[in-house]
Formats: sequence, C-alpha cells, structure tokens
Amino acid sequence: MHLLIMLGINILLAMGFALLYSTGLITIGAAAFWAVGAYSSALLVLELNLSFWLAMPLAVLISAGLALLIGAVIVRAPGVAFVVQTMVINMIVVQILGQIEFFGGWGGLIGLPRPNPLGPITFATKTEFYYLLLFLLLLTAGVFKALYASRVGRAWQSIQLNPRLALTLGINLYRYRLLAFVAASASAGLAGSFYAHYFGTIEPGTFSVFKSIYIQIYAILGGLGFYLSGPVVGALVMTFLPEFLRLSKEIEPILTGGLLIGLVVFLPGGFLSLPHRIQIWLSNRNTDPVEQGEAGP
Amino acid sequence: MDGALFIQLFLNGLVAGMVYVLIASGLILVLGVARIFNFAHGEFYMLGAYATFALTQILHWNYFLSVILATAVVSFLAALCYRAIFHYLRGNLLLCAAASIGLSMMMERGALVGFGTQERGLPPAFSGTFGLAGASIPLEKVLVILLCLAIMFGLAFLLKGTTLGRAMRAVKLDTEVAALQGVSTTKIYALTMAVGCALAAFAGGVIAPLFSVTPNMGHVMLLKCFMVLIVGGMESMVGGIVGGLLIGMILSFGSYFLGGLSEIVLFSFIGLILVIKPGGLFGEAVEEV
Repeated sequence: MHLLIMLGINILLAMGFALLYSTGLITIGAAAFWAVGAYSSALLVLELNLSFWLAMPLAVLISAGLALLIGAVIVRAPGVAFVVQTMVINMIVVQILGQIEFFGGWGGLIGLPRPNPLGPITFATKTEFYYLLLFLLLLTAGVFKALYASRVGRAWQSIQLNPRLALTLGINLYRYRLLAFVAASASAGLAGSFYAHYFGTIEPGTFSVFKSIYIQIYAILGGLGFYLSGPVVGALVMTFLPEFLRLSKEIEPILTGGLLIGLVVFLPGGFLSLPHRIQIWLSNRNTDPVEQGEAGP
Repeated sequence: MDGALFIQLFLNGLVAGMVYVLIASGLILVLGVARIFNFAHGEFYMLGAYATFALTQILHWNYFLSVILATAVVSFLAALCYRAIFHYLRGNLLLCAAASIGLSMMMERGALVGFGTQERGLPPAFSGTFGLAGASIPLEKVLVILLCLAIMFGLAFLLKGTTLGRAMRAVKLDTEVAALQGVSTTKIYALTMAVGCALAAFAGGVIAPLFSVTPNMGHVMLLKCFMVLIVGGMESMVGGIVGGLLIGMILSFGSYFLGGLSEIVLFSFIGLILVIKPGGLFGEAVEEV
C-alpha cells in the first residue's frame, strides 16, 4: 500500500513535468514546488492550527503564487537556460529550508497531524490515504486533460512544435509558458501537501535536485509524447522495478542510470512508443529494401 | 579589515574562482561546440581527483606526472562516452541531457562503491609559505592559480591558434557547412568532449591536495558551475571567467563575514542577475522563442 501511495505521488509530480514539457520547457526544479507545497501546508497546520482541508488548497495556492513570481523571471529564457535556472532554484529552496530555523532546519518538521476526520473516514489506515490520493490524482488528471483539450492546450502544443510559428499566429509565448509553469507547480504543491500529512515528517533532503531528476526520468521513461499516460507508465516502472529486483540501495542508481541511457539511445520515445516502433519495424520488413532506407533515423 | 586578512580571503576566492573557471569553461565548450549539456561534467572532475589520488597514494607516483596521466585517462574516457552514447543522440539537446544525467548517476555511485564513502586526502605537493604584507601565503595555492592560468592560456591558444581550434569554432558556427569543408564533425565532437572533460579532470587533480576527495564532490561542483553559467552567460568563455571569479570571491568573502548566510547572499545576487539580465552578464540577449 505504501508503494502504491508513493507511486501516486510520483505520478502527480511527473504529470506536472509532462505538462511543462508540452510547451517545450524542461524543468529540473519540480521538487522545489513539491517542497513549497509540503512546507506551507505543514506550517499552516502547525503554526496557525488550520484544518488540513483548508491548508491543502492554500498550499496549492502558495505554490502557484510562488511559481508565478519565479516563473515571471525565468520563463523569459527558454531552452538550456531554463533547465539550469530551475535546477538552481531547486537548490536554493532546499538551502533556504535547511538554513532558516523557522522551517525546522536540516532536521525538518516533525509531528504533522493526520488529516481531520471526514465523517466516518478517520485516516487511520493507509487505505484511506490511498483513496484520497487516487481522488486527487484523478482530479488533477481531469483538469490537465481539460486543459490539453482546450484552446490553451492547443496553444501549448503549437509552442512545442514550433515557437516561431506560434508567435506569428499571435500566441503570447511568455504568458502561455508562464501558465504552464504555474499549473505544473500547483500540481506539485498538491502532491507536497498530501505527502507532508501522509508521512508526518518532512526534511529538506527529500526535496533535493535528485528527486527532480527522478521526476524527469519518470516522464521520459513512459514517453514524452504521452502527457497523461506517459508519467503513469514511467512512475510505475521506476517505483516497482527496484522493489521487484530486490536491489540494494547501494547499486540501484547505477542500474537506473544505465536504464536511462539505454532507453534514451534505443527507445527515445519512451515505453509507450514501443507498439508504434514495432509496427514500423514490421511494415519495413515486408516492403522491398529500397523503401527501407526511408524509415532510417 | 586589515591587509593581511584581505589578501588571505582574496587568495582563497581566487583559488576557488580559478577552479570554477576551468570547469565552467569545459562545460561551455562542450555545450557550444558539441551541443551537449553535460550533467556528468562534475563527475569527470571527481574522477580526475580520484585518479590523481589513486596514482599518488596507491602507486606512489610523482604528483605532477599523476595529474597529467589522470587528465589524459579521463579525457580518453570522455571521448569514449561520446562515441558510445552521445553520438547516437546528436542534435537532440533534451535526450543528450537525459543521457548525461544517467551517466552522472552511474559514475557517482560507481565511485562510491569503488572507493567508499570516506573522505580521501592528498598531502600537499608544496608545503612552503611566504609572507606578503603580513599574510602568510601557502605556495600550494599560488601553484594552483598559476597552473589554472597556464591551462586557460593553453585553451585560448588551442581555440584561436590551431587548426583543431579553428575546426571547433567552425562546427560551433555551422555544423553542416563545416562538414562540407571537410571537417569530420564526429571527430571534432569527440575531441571537444575530451578537451572539455580534460579541463574538469585537471581541475580535480590540482584541487585534490587542497580539499578532500569524496564521491559527491562532482555534483556539488556542477551546481556551482551552473551558477557560474547563470551569472556569466552560456555562450562565451569571457562570461565563464568573469562569472567563476565573481562567485569564488563572493563565497570566500561572504563565508568569512556572514557565515551560513553567505549562500543566501549568493542566491540573491543570482536572482538579481536573472531579473536584470536573463542571459547572464556576458550572454547574448535572450530570444523569447
């Protein structure tokens, strides 16, 4: 059950990454907004004695607000600059959380209460947490799906395909990218708020750049062309594979790194592009050798 | 603040800054010519330090010989990595970045498994000090600064004065036209990777006697270099030099006067640069597409 819950959190985070990628931006700072969501929710409950059900939407709002502030500055520079800047921001957030006493220092915050009971649901067992997460996940997926299907989603798609062309069509690149950044960060904040109250303790080390890199791997592994199903498949593989192989924590990153390289070289479209690749390969085999050359890389 | 203290702090900042400059130059070179954003760059620095450690402490070689050999071995390894991985991903910045993240994870954990978590130290290559305006200055640090300077001049000569450097700059300008002129782009990309990572490995070798050698020194350094890139810009070597020295100085003076707050000061400085000039101090104006 614990694994399933971690899987859900990972999916939530990877969906935010995929959303941002749909506008052609690559972030290595997703964990920063995860941390913002977790810490703001925790502090609202601990310091102001707010109910979890009030703190969670507020945490999402705080994450989104901070993303708006930071995004307004960094979204101006797309491409590699954006990657580096999000990574540094992730680092800065972790440093600030660790250095300043108000946030609990490097030891983090402990003793976060469970969510207040909701009628007969008391959140005493993991199953109840699981269903809460499932609800949040479906809610986020639904919102994202609606966004992708809307005018906004089509604008994002066009920005990813060709920013210059999108510009000539009157699409404001800056505003649409900022919107994607805020939406992705809000979903990360939601995941953070849930995480904080599920675990009961949070510490800055959890939200390091490495987590952001893992989040990126989930999305790439599943397939970047698939904004909703890609993160699900990627997170599924990355959460369960190490457990099934019973790997020691010691060498797990070596295999994960190797898997990432192998996947990127041999299957750049991710796992979900596999059926399509097999289809191409089969149809190539049946045609004459002259046409085969066209399908080459 | 008296003169002796100022000289000490200035020297410390200069040593750290020169190392940042060396590593960031390699990063900028690889990014500019081979179009690879190499997240494993810090790991090559770490590998350079470990190779130097292994050669001097286990095989008891001469320090200078060890640094040179370590650099050569690591740069050969980097060229091999290029041919084995990045060659198949050329032109795709995102996939290259993802693959280099995988490479970095493998290398860091490999070093951890191979060498253990404990910190390794090298005895200083030179132990003498000399006095200047009341401050006693270790020869070691002066040596590091001089070596880094020499390497930077060597790099400048390589890029401006040799056929290889001309070919690299041609490939950076326009890959296809360079290929049409008879430049083997695969060879140039692999050589660029080798030169860039050699800079990192050399920095690792010269810094090994000053600081301790640990498996995670690579990504700590890489994050510092990212800050250098944000401050200085990602296109030009001049930006890397100015950014590296600036960050070295801020950290050196800041950590003496402000302690733990110095990082916060550095972050605010970086934030300010991002707001005023998103492309870095020496970067080109950022295109919003």
